[in-house]
Amino acid sequence: MTKWLRDNLWRHAVALGAVGFALFPIYMVVISSLNPTGSLQVTSFVPNEISFINYTQLFTDPTIPFMTWMWNSLYIAGLVSIVSVIIGAASAFAFSRLRFKGKKLGLQTLLLVQMFPAILALAAVFVIMERVYNFAPEIGLGTQAGLMLVYLGGSMGVNIWLLKGFVDSIPLELDEAAKIDGASPMQIYWQIFIPLAAPVLAVVTLLTFIGTFNEYILARLFLVEMETRTVAVGLQQFIGGQFSTNWGAFAAGSIIASIPIVVIFLSLQKYIVAGLTAGSVKG
Amino acid sequence: MNSKKIVSLAAALGVVASSLLGATPAMAEDKVITVWADETRGPALSKALGSLADQTEGEWATGYKIKVVSYSSFDALKEALDKATANTGPDVVIGANDWVATGVKNGKVAPLTLPASVRANYTAGALTDLSYQGKLYGIPISMNNTAMLVNTKLTGGKKPATFAEMVDFYTKNKTSKKLSAGLCVAGGGMSFGAIGVLNALGGAPYATDSKGAVLTTKDPIDVTAMTANVKKYLLDSKGKSTGFFPADSTGCKDNFLAGKVPYAVIGNWEWKDYVAKGFNMNNLVSVPGMTKTTFGKSFASVSGAMLTTYAETNGNATGAKSFLNNFFGSATGVVLYARHEQRPPAHKAASGAVSDGAKAFSRTGNQAGMPQIGDILGNSAGGKNFWDALPAYWTAVLIEGKDVAAETKKLNTLFKKNVAEGSKSLK
Amino acid sequence: MNLVSGRPLAVIAKVIFVSIALAILGLLAISAFTAGEIAIAAFLALSMIAIAWVYFTNVSVPLKFFLPGIIFLIGFVVVPILYTIVMSGFQYRTGNYISKPEALERVQALGVVQDESMTTYDVTVGRLENGELALLATDYLAGTYFISDSDSKVEIASTDVELNEFEVAVSAPGFEALPPDELAAMDSELSSLRFYSEDSYYLVLEGFEVASLYTQVLEYDAASDSLTNIQTGDVFKDNGRGNYANINNSEDVLIPGWRAPIWFENYAKLFSDPKVREPLVAVFIWTVTFAFLTVLTQFAFGLLLALALNKAIRGRRIYRIILILPYAIPSIMSILVWAGMFNTEFGAINALLGQQIAWFLDPNFARAAVIVVNLWLGFPYFYLVSSGSLQAIPADYSEAAAIDGASPRQIFWQITLPLLLKILTPLLIASFAFNFNNFNLIYLLTGGGPRATLDGEIAGATDILISYTYQIAFGSNVQDLGLASAISVVIFVIVAAISLYGVKKSKVLDEFV
Repeated sequence: MTKWLRDNLWRHAVALGAVGFALFPIYMVVISSLNPTGSLQVTSFVPNEISFINYTQLFTDPTIPFMTWMWNSLYIAGLVSIVSVIIGAASAFAFSRLRFKGKKLGLQTLLLVQMFPAILALAAVFVIMERVYNFAPEIGLGTQAGLMLVYLGGSMGVNIWLLKGFVDSIPLELDEAAKIDGASPMQIYWQIFIPLAAPVLAVVTLLTFIGTFNEYILARLFLVEMETRTVAVGLQQFIGGQFSTNWGAFAAGSIIASIPIVVIFLSLQKYIVAGLTAGSVKG
Repeated sequence: MNSKKIVSLAAALGVVASSLLGATPAMAEDKVITVWADETRGPALSKALGSLADQTEGEWATGYKIKVVSYSSFDALKEALDKATANTGPDVVIGANDWVATGVKNGKVAPLTLPASVRANYTAGALTDLSYQGKLYGIPISMNNTAMLVNTKLTGGKKPATFAEMVDFYTKNKTSKKLSAGLCVAGGGMSFGAIGVLNALGGAPYATDSKGAVLTTKDPIDVTAMTANVKKYLLDSKGKSTGFFPADSTGCKDNFLAGKVPYAVIGNWEWKDYVAKGFNMNNLVSVPGMTKTTFGKSFASVSGAMLTTYAETNGNATGAKSFLNNFFGSATGVVLYARHEQRPPAHKAASGAVSDGAKAFSRTGNQAGMPQIGDILGNSAGGKNFWDALPAYWTAVLIEGKDVAAETKKLNTLFKKNVAEGSKSLK
Repeated sequence: MNLVSGRPLAVIAKVIFVSIALAILGLLAISAFTAGEIAIAAFLALSMIAIAWVYFTNVSVPLKFFLPGIIFLIGFVVVPILYTIVMSGFQYRTGNYISKPEALERVQALGVVQDESMTTYDVTVGRLENGELALLATDYLAGTYFISDSDSKVEIASTDVELNEFEVAVSAPGFEALPPDELAAMDSELSSLRFYSEDSYYLVLEGFEVASLYTQVLEYDAASDSLTNIQTGDVFKDNGRGNYANINNSEDVLIPGWRAPIWFENYAKLFSDPKVREPLVAVFIWTVTFAFLTVLTQFAFGLLLALALNKAIRGRRIYRIILILPYAIPSIMSILVWAGMFNTEFGAINALLGQQIAWFLDPNFARAAVIVVNLWLGFPYFYLVSSGSLQAIPADYSEAAAIDGASPRQIFWQITLPLLLKILTPLLIASFAFNFNNFNLIYLLTGGGPRATLDGEIAGATDILISYTYQIAFGSNVQDLGLASAISVVIFVIVAAISLYGVKKSKVLDEFV
């Protein structure tokens, strides 16, 4: 018994403490979402009145197209993450496996480019997309397509860098063997590399997805039409407005918006952990 | 080059060529005037106009339909306007009066002249609010102000006549009525919303003469008097806040609605929330001053529908001016709009047609309103602009317990520098 | 090696795919060209050439892999960076925001004065018999009517005009009103027209039904690039800093100004102007402190958890699922929720502590709050990677040490931790770099505040470099994109120098080259 205590009690104590810390805000959001007054009232930790009005409001109020926002977010983040990883994987493969002149220079440039504090590039991105709007309004400023283009460009550097790290950890033996058999780089890429890297690609796709889902600064300037907004912009308006705040609706919306991400995350948990560590655990 | 390659190249070029031929120039469409607004005014305007599809073409401007774009917040709208450059900019933007000065400097807003018949519907102050260096840049829509609501259920029907009466009530009933504060700011934040309190205590962002003209040489704050008042009314003997006036505005609305605060400064855009909880707008007053019949003045500025320089580049300038005159300048349009916005309308003919809440704010605005001069309040020649400086002052004296005399003096010096800088452009 | 000689299906797929890409880019390039966006058209055309060249020949195999990534990187990352560098050499701020031609146009548009009584006329827009555009105006006060075109004004007898229900003249002999549907189409032409009136005044449309009287006061002389106020005689010339300034009084400038090159002045300001330099230094110190403390707390807490759960204790799976939650929940939502929880009066934190702490009004509390929230957001990541790495450390080491009589504590500090650190260093560095630029957290949680002193500090207590720069560039009221760009470039040089040095030392890049 004492040995059990010595060995395991502290483990449970630490774990329970962390669980409390992790769940505290989540619990607060849940009770706020059930609070009908829509205020930030968390003076008591047990709700004295439970109501689902905040949830029903999201689905019935015609001025809050919540489901459309949700779909917009999933669609934008989904498309961006997939295309970005497809393009990024090819570059990462080339950096990792091919020999060519200027590779080191290329890598250094990539590293540097990523370090630039990108927030000011906002102004430039704006000017570019505005000009694009002048001749192709469908993909310029103020459109989802335009926003996706900007996201794609922005995620490219990070993704290539991230993917390269992962790709480096995939053993070389297999493609060496294929090379000896006379396979071209394209064949190695499609037939050997892609299947091997699939879990890693999935992880980076997911991380890009979450990153895009969370983006807010650009989205609120790009997506002004109610129907085109993402869930992050839409929900922020409940509490970020100058004139009105509605924490109840925000909390309810946040919970619903989080569910798909949490589900994906938990179901892919094993791969994500493997993916996250792959970059580091190469000895 | 082998034959396959040639075939593939040819195929590619074929696709390119055919798709280029398929490209046709854009068709001429109905002309549209685009209006940008924030998350409260935008939907109100949309409802007043009906959706773009429902509008009869030319109803408000010959040959034009009106499209309203609502941003998710006031800040997002401002940021988008700052960043707008060429063809994506709006023709009209609905903004605060203090946008005019920066809007002119950045080439965002364009001047206009209202027909004499329309001009007659507005007070000179409302028009001055939207003017810069003698030119008018928009048409006043509604007044933006705050006033103090009294929870008469708590105070036993009494409305305070002096600042001291409020402090007195708080001190006496703090424990028995479980008050969380005496007077708090529920709407407008600790600068826009708290200006009435600053003024009641003896301070102002700029000094004025009896006619309301800005005095650049006079101290905006009577440092001695204000120091004494802050110490007497807001602090205890140890120099700590008594809790009468919290330095933070968040939570005030909830507390007031819950009956834990007797007096709260509220904004005219949200009075319906209070009426819904059973408060009566007859109990809306100006912040009481040190003696009876004096009041702490608060900003009573107008928001306006401004003409942008993009209307010109978009080829919509005349139409946009027509729209402004015919919709916002006419009683018909303003009443339509006022029905969906809670603030008191700036148009004289429409003010009779509005609700009690809007009337109450009109009353306090006329009683103790002061103009909100963008160039003075927005510049930071003294190190900080007014909007950042006043909250910092409250924090310094009420939370951090810094020396009141020194902080008040600093605030005065800062305001004075800002006034000197900001009044350069006033004529 | 030769793709075109690969499997037919793959070749066809490639040809179709590349062709579609070329077609889309081609379309865009053409419309960009016709719209006058030459730079973009050129970029698109170059991309097309590059694509066709790379994918239909065998010029370079690596480029086949790189090209799409390179095009995106150049378009959306490299060009904006170059743009920022260029901006940093300009006077580009409130008051100097637009281009010089635009500014000149605005200055001239503003260089007019209305007649003193602010006369307006109700008008009807129409054409004269010779086809010239003209106004038929009604002067209520005088009860008169007149027609004005570009160079003349003719009185019309009241008997000759036809009035509408508002008593406004709508037709007159020799004048035909424009049909309503033509008005909107002619808007841009109409809005720039000046119709004749007496004494150098002219009529301008203020809507389709109204006109007002103006006279031009500022006159531009293109030869000397100067403006003259014909009423006062003042002459305004380009002062080289983005404004037309009075030649006798440099303070008297015309509004608006334009973006003008001032070369290194913004950089000089960073060092010479204490109002810029001092906050910048303070913000830099806090940025480094913040990033360091964040990584330290996240790693320490994550590692502790990893150690605690490194054994198959009961409920480990559940613990693990719950502990990943903060990482899985979209951070934009959780940050905003935390912001609410730190509320002084209603916040859950104060309720829990039984205190009335004004978290976001006191610099130290605000900083603590930022660290705590970031710990919540980031500890699961380090828990996950630490537990992964713990399993990767061969058990032999610690077993051997245990046999040698080392205590568990000694084993941890002397064997496990150093090994872990070796494995995790790249991730720790990456995390530091990420938090160095963690804009979302600061912007959404505290907005950089509190800005709670009256001593002239512009920077807030929790502002990190990136949020501070954002504040300067896009904050409320006065915005200075030129200065903000200069700061960005300086941050970039510092960070890049440190990392390049680090990269060189650790020879990371040499590994696979």
